[in-house]
Amino acid sequence: MIKKIIEFIKSEFYSYSKNVRTAIIIMLAIALCFAASALWIFLFGLGYTDMNNRMVWAAWIIGDFSLIVLGGGAFFTGFLFYIFRRDEFKPIIYNATLIGLLCYLFTFIFLALDIGQPLRFWFGYIYPNWGPHLLPYSMMTEVFFCITFYFIILVIEFTPTVLEHPLIIKYAPIKWTAHYMHKLMWIFAAIGTFLSFFHQGSLGGIYGMMYAKPVWYRPHLFFLFVASALASGPALTVLVTWFTGKVMKKEVVPFKTLSSLARVSGFMFIIYFLFRVIDIYVVATRYAPSYDRNYWDFWGGYYGLWTLGVELILCLIPTLLFVVRKFREQEKTLVIGVGAAVVAVIMNRFNETVRGFAVPNFPWDEFIGYLPTIQEFFVFFGIPVCMALAYMFCVKYLPIFPNLKKDEETSSEAS
Amino acid sequence: MKKIDRRDFLKVAGGAVVGGGAGFVLSGAPFDAFQWVVEWTQDQVVPSPGEERFITGICHACPNKCAIRVRMIDDRAVKIETENKGCSMGQALVQWFYHPERVKYPLKRVGKKGSGKFAPVKWDEAIQDITTSFNKLRKEGKADSLAAITNPHTMRSTLLLERLLRAAGSPHLYTESCMCNLSRAAVKHLYNLDGALCYDLENADYILSFSARLLEGWGQPYSMHKAFLNWKKTDAKLVQVDTLCSRTASLANEWIPLKPGTELTLALGIAYHLLRKGKTSRGTGFADWSQMVFNYYTPDNVSKITGVPIETISRIAGEFAEAKRPLAVAGRGGTGISSSAAEIIAIQTLNDLVESTGKTGGVSIKLFSTLGDPPADDIARASLEKATRSKGLDDFIASEIDPGILIINEANPVHRSTHGKKLVEKMQRTPLVISLSTLINDTAHYSDYILPTLTALERIGESAPVTRSQSLCAGEIILKIARGIEGVADAFPWSSRAEIDFPEEELITPRTRAYSADIFKEHLKQISAQQEQKEYPLALIPFEVPAIGDGVGLAFPYVLKSIDGKIFSYDKLWVHMHPETAEKDGLSEGSKIDLISKRGEIGSVRVHLTKLVAPGVVAVPLGFGHTSYTKYGSDKGVNPKEIMTADIDPISGTADWWLTRIQIS
Amino acid sequence: MMKRKWGMAIDLDKCTGCGACQIACMQENNLPIFEDDSDILKRVTFLELMTVTNDTDADAKYGEVKVAYIPKMCQQCEGDPAEPRPPCVSVCLVAATDVGDDGVVSQIWSRCIGCRYCMAACPYQARVFNWWKPRFEGDFKQGLNPDVSIASRGTVVKCTFCSHIWKRERDRLIAQGITDINAVEYTPACVAACPTGAIVFGDLNDPLSEVSQLAKDPRAFRLMHPIDDKDESRKKDMHRYGRFPNPKVYYLTSQSWIRDLMRFT
Repeated sequence: MIKKIIEFIKSEFYSYSKNVRTAIIIMLAIALCFAASALWIFLFGLGYTDMNNRMVWAAWIIGDFSLIVLGGGAFFTGFLFYIFRRDEFKPIIYNATLIGLLCYLFTFIFLALDIGQPLRFWFGYIYPNWGPHLLPYSMMTEVFFCITFYFIILVIEFTPTVLEHPLIIKYAPIKWTAHYMHKLMWIFAAIGTFLSFFHQGSLGGIYGMMYAKPVWYRPHLFFLFVASALASGPALTVLVTWFTGKVMKKEVVPFKTLSSLARVSGFMFIIYFLFRVIDIYVVATRYAPSYDRNYWDFWGGYYGLWTLGVELILCLIPTLLFVVRKFREQEKTLVIGVGAAVVAVIMNRFNETVRGFAVPNFPWDEFIGYLPTIQEFFVFFGIPVCMALAYMFCVKYLPIFPNLKKDEETSSEAS
Repeated sequence: MKKIDRRDFLKVAGGAVVGGGAGFVLSGAPFDAFQWVVEWTQDQVVPSPGEERFITGICHACPNKCAIRVRMIDDRAVKIETENKGCSMGQALVQWFYHPERVKYPLKRVGKKGSGKFAPVKWDEAIQDITTSFNKLRKEGKADSLAAITNPHTMRSTLLLERLLRAAGSPHLYTESCMCNLSRAAVKHLYNLDGALCYDLENADYILSFSARLLEGWGQPYSMHKAFLNWKKTDAKLVQVDTLCSRTASLANEWIPLKPGTELTLALGIAYHLLRKGKTSRGTGFADWSQMVFNYYTPDNVSKITGVPIETISRIAGEFAEAKRPLAVAGRGGTGISSSAAEIIAIQTLNDLVESTGKTGGVSIKLFSTLGDPPADDIARASLEKATRSKGLDDFIASEIDPGILIINEANPVHRSTHGKKLVEKMQRTPLVISLSTLINDTAHYSDYILPTLTALERIGESAPVTRSQSLCAGEIILKIARGIEGVADAFPWSSRAEIDFPEEELITPRTRAYSADIFKEHLKQISAQQEQKEYPLALIPFEVPAIGDGVGLAFPYVLKSIDGKIFSYDKLWVHMHPETAEKDGLSEGSKIDLISKRGEIGSVRVHLTKLVAPGVVAVPLGFGHTSYTKYGSDKGVNPKEIMTADIDPISGTADWWLTRIQIS
Repeated sequence: MMKRKWGMAIDLDKCTGCGACQIACMQENNLPIFEDDSDILKRVTFLELMTVTNDTDADAKYGEVKVAYIPKMCQQCEGDPAEPRPPCVSVCLVAATDVGDDGVVSQIWSRCIGCRYCMAACPYQARVFNWWKPRFEGDFKQGLNPDVSIASRGTVVKCTFCSHIWKRERDRLIAQGITDINAVEYTPACVAACPTGAIVFGDLNDPLSEVSQLAKDPRAFRLMHPIDDKDESRKKDMHRYGRFPNPKVYYLTSQSWIRDLMRFT
C-alpha cells in the first residue's frame, strides 16, 4: 500500500518539468526550515525573535496584515461575480476563492506563532472585550470574530470547487449539494462581503484607534484599509493567476478576465491613492498637531521619509497603468502593475507596523531598527512558500480553472 | 428483535459520536484541558505560601545601621521594608542572602591558584590548617610577613583583625581605599591625630564639594539622603565642583565644571581668596604655607589650570567665607574614593580657615577606636621592631613585601585597586591566602581558603533569618583563628564575639595644626605638565552607576536589571564623551573603541555622546569587568582600574586614579 | 462603594537616582531573573528609572546640560473621566486588563494571550512582555513573594500600583472586623523604599491628601501629556481630534529643562 503511494508521488513529481521540480525541492527545503523555526518558537518562546518591548510587532504581523489585505480579492471578486453578476469573472472566481482561503488559513498560522500563548487562542472567543455597544471595544476582538466567520464562509465558498472534482462529482448527493450551493452562493458572498468590510476595516482600526499614539491615531484608517483591500486584493489574484499560467504554460484564465479585474483594481487604486494622500494631509494638519507632534518627525532613523516615498510611488504605478486600456491589455505592463500594487500595499503595512514602532515615544529616545532573526526570517518566507505548495497541490488536483477544463474538452474533442 | 444491520449501526454509532462530542465540547472539558496543557507546558513556578510575620532589626551592610523590617513567609525572607530609609543595597539583601552561589562551607583550593576549583572542608579542619600555618610562620621568625586587607565598612572585624596581626607580630593591616583611610593620612599630617575626617553634612548650610559625589554613594547612602532632605528644608546650598555633570552636580544648587584632576588647585585657589580676606589659622608653618599660596596659586594660575573663571573662584570663595556653617568636602568619587592626601589636606585647610573644624555643620575628627594594645610575646615584639609598614594598600601591593599569610576580610582589592593585577601576582607567591567572603569574588578566586561569612540580613539582630549554610560572622572567624595561634590566644580572652565590648568611636576637635608648603609647591608644575602632554590626549574620569557602586552590586540579578541602556547593554559597556571629542576621531553614537593608557589597554566599549562630559574627557562607569563574581557579575564589561594611573601617593600610600590619561583606538 | 482614586506624585528634585525603588519593585513583584539582562528592550521591569538629559537640545553646551532620573511605572491612565478607558484597556482582545473603580489598571496575565496589542497602545512603554521563560535559580526561589503569581512566558505584565498589597491590607482589616472598603490604606513597594521620600502615594479623590495637593502644585507636570499646560482655547482645539491618556502619576520639578523635555517640538 505504502509502496503504491510512493510510486504515485514519484510519478506525479516527475510529471513536472525540470525547473518546476527544482523549485519544488527548494520550496520543500524552505518549508522544512519554516516548520523547524515554528517548532522552535512554540517550544522556546518569542525571545528568539527580534521583536521587543518597543518593536512590539514586526515581520509576522506585516505578513499577517498583508495576507489579509491581499486575500481581499476573494470577497471582492465574489461580490462582483455573485452579487453584481459580472460574468466575465467566472473563470477566475474559484481561483480567487482559493487564494483567499489560503491567505486566511496561513494568516491563522502567522497569528498562532505571533501571540505569546497560542494555546489560549480560544480566549478570544470565550472572553471577548466586547463592551455594551454593537461594535466591540477592542478592534482586535472584532478582527478575531470576523475573520473566523469569514474563514468559514470561504470554506463554504470553496466547497463546491472541491465537490466538482471528477472523482466525486459523479455521486448524486454530491452533485446535488454542489448545484444548490452554487445557487445559494450569493448569500454567502453577501455575508462574506459584509464580514470582509468589517474585518479589513478593523485591521485598520487596530492601528487607527490607539488614541494615545499620535503615530497611528486616526479613526478614518478603518476606511483606508478597506479601500486598500478593494484595490490590492484583485491585484494579487491577477498576479497569482498570471504566474500560474506562465508556469503551467497554459492559459488558465482568459487574458481579458485578468484585464477586467485589473481595471476594477485600477479604479479602486485611484480611490485608494487619493484617500492615502488625504490621509497623510489630515494626520499632518489635524491629528499630529493635536498631540503637539510633527508628522514629519514620525519618519526617521532607518525608516525615513523614503519609505513613504516608495510606498506612494509603488501605489501610483498601478493607478496610472490600469486606467489606461493599452497598459491593461499588454501582459508586461499588466504584470508590472499588479506586482507594484502588491508590493505597494505590503510597503504600506510595513510603514504602519515596523516604521511606526521605530518612532520614539519620548523625546530623549532614539529611533530603533529591526533585524529579523533566522526563525522570523524562515517563518516569514516559509509561509508564502507553503501557500505556494498548497496552491500547486490544489491547482493540480482540483478543478480550479474551468477554462482549462473547457480547453481540454475542446482539444480532446478536436483530437 | 429486529436485527441491527450495518446502516442502523452506523446511524447509532454516528449519533453517539456526535452527541458525545457535543456534550464533551459544551461541557467545557476541552477548554479546561487546554488550560491544563498551557500550565503544564509553561512549567510554572509557584511561590510556596505560608504564614506572614515581620522581623525587625538593623542592617549592618554599612555604618549607617538603618532600622529595617524583614517580611517573612514561614521561614523565608521575601522582602526588606526600609520605610523610606536605607538604600538600594538594603532592598537587594534578600538576593544576597539567597544567592545560589553563596559560599556555604569553608572551601579549600584543589586546583591551581586562580583556577577557581575549590572543595568544601570542615570548619575544624580549615581552622586547624590555618592556625598550624600561623604557628609555623611565627616560629620561623617570619611573623612580620603576615598581612591582611580589609573592607572599610567592616569596623568590628577589622578591629579584631588588627589585634590578631599585632599580637602575632605584624603591622601589615591595610584598608581598601575609602574616605576613612585616605583622610587618616591627611589628618595625621595636619593634626597629628589617628582619626578620619567626619563631616557634619546634615547641618552645614554651604557645602562646597570637590568632586565628592555626595548623592551617588559617597559616604553612607542613607545619611547622605537625610542630609540632602535637610538641606532642602533649611535652604542650605550645595556647590558641586566636578568634571562631569554627575547626578550630584545636577541636583546641586550650583555646579562648577572644572578640568579633570584639578580639585587641589581649585581648593588652594579659593584659599588664596580666603587668605586675602584675612582668614587665618593657628598652626605651625602657616606663614610659609600662606606665602606659598600667594606665590603659586594666584587667580590667574588657578583659573588657567582648572578652567574655572576668575570671577567664579572669587565669588565662591566669598560665599564660602560669608556662610554661617560652611563646609568643604573632600574625597573624589562615590563608593570608590580616589584623592591624594595633599588634596584632602588642601580642602581641609579651607575648613580650618573658615573655622568650621570642630563645629556643628562643620568637620570633626573621628578617632579610630581600638581594642587596646594587645599583649605581645617575644616573637611578636621582635618581629614588630624589624617590620616596616607600607603607607597604604597600594604601596603594600607595589612593595617587595611577599606575605607568608594573607587574610582578605570581606574585600575585593583585585578588582577595586588599580594594582589588582600586581596583587594577583603577589597572591600567587603567597603560600596561604585566606578570604573571608560570602561570594567568590575576584580576590577570593585566587585564595587557598575561602571562609564563608554572613550577609547583612543574617546579622540584623536576634530574630534574624537563620543562615542555611555554615557561614559565620567574620569577627567570629577571626576569633577562632586567633585563639588557635600560640602566643596570640592570650590576646583574645573571649570565647565568642558577643562577649567583646567594642569601644565607641570618639569625635574630637583637633588642637594642634601643622601646615606644610612643600607638598603643594611641585603640584602646579606636575599638573600643567600632565595637561599639556600629547601622547595621551584624553582624560579618563570614573563615575558610578546606581546600585553597583565600585562593583559590589553586580552579583545581584535585580541590580543587573536596573542598569541603564547607555551604561551597559547588549553585553557591552558604554563610555561617555562629548560629541566634539568623538568627532575628532570620527566616532559616532555606538562606535566600538578600546581605551589605551600608559599601563595598558581595555576594550571594547561603546561610545555614548553626551554633553554631560567635558570635551577632552572620557567618562567610564566603575564596577564592571569582574573576572570572577558569580555568573551574574562575571565578564560583564571592562574594569577601567586596570588602566588607571597607579602612581602611589607618598602620604596615603594609595594610588590616585583620577588623573589617568588615555588615547582611543 | 469605592471612593478612592489612587495616584502618585514623584518629586524629581528629591530623586537622586539611587535605584532603591527599582529593586524594591522587583523584589516585591517576583520579577524574573536572567543571567544576562542587558538586552534592554526585552527586559521585564515594572519600574524603569529613565535617565534623561537635555542633550537633545542642540543649543545646550557642556555646562548647561544636566541629568535627571525619572522613575516611570505604569501611569494608570484614566482616559476620559466620564467613561474611563485607558488606551491599553480598550484594545485588549480578551479583556485581560481592566481599570478598577479605584483607578488602578489591573493586568491579569492568566487571561492574557500575549497578542501585545496593549503594549503597542501604551504611550509610556510601561508594559513589558515575558519574551523568555521566567527562571529563578536555586535558592532565589526562597525569596519569592507568595502574593504575586509568576506570569508565564508569552504574557504581558506591568506595574499595578502593588494592588496585591492593597488586597493584603484589605484582608487584614476585614480580619479585624473593618469592612469599609475605603478604610484600606497601603503603600506600594517603590514608595516605601525611596530614601528621600520622593515618591508620594495616596488618594487623588481626597483633596486633603498629600498627593492631591502635590498634583496641584505649580511644579507638577505629567509625563508626555501635551494638553496639560495649554490654555482653554488650545485645549478645546486639541480635544477635537485628540484623546489623551490622562495619567494618575504626577511629577514635580523646579528645573525647567525637564519640563521642556516633555515636548517633542
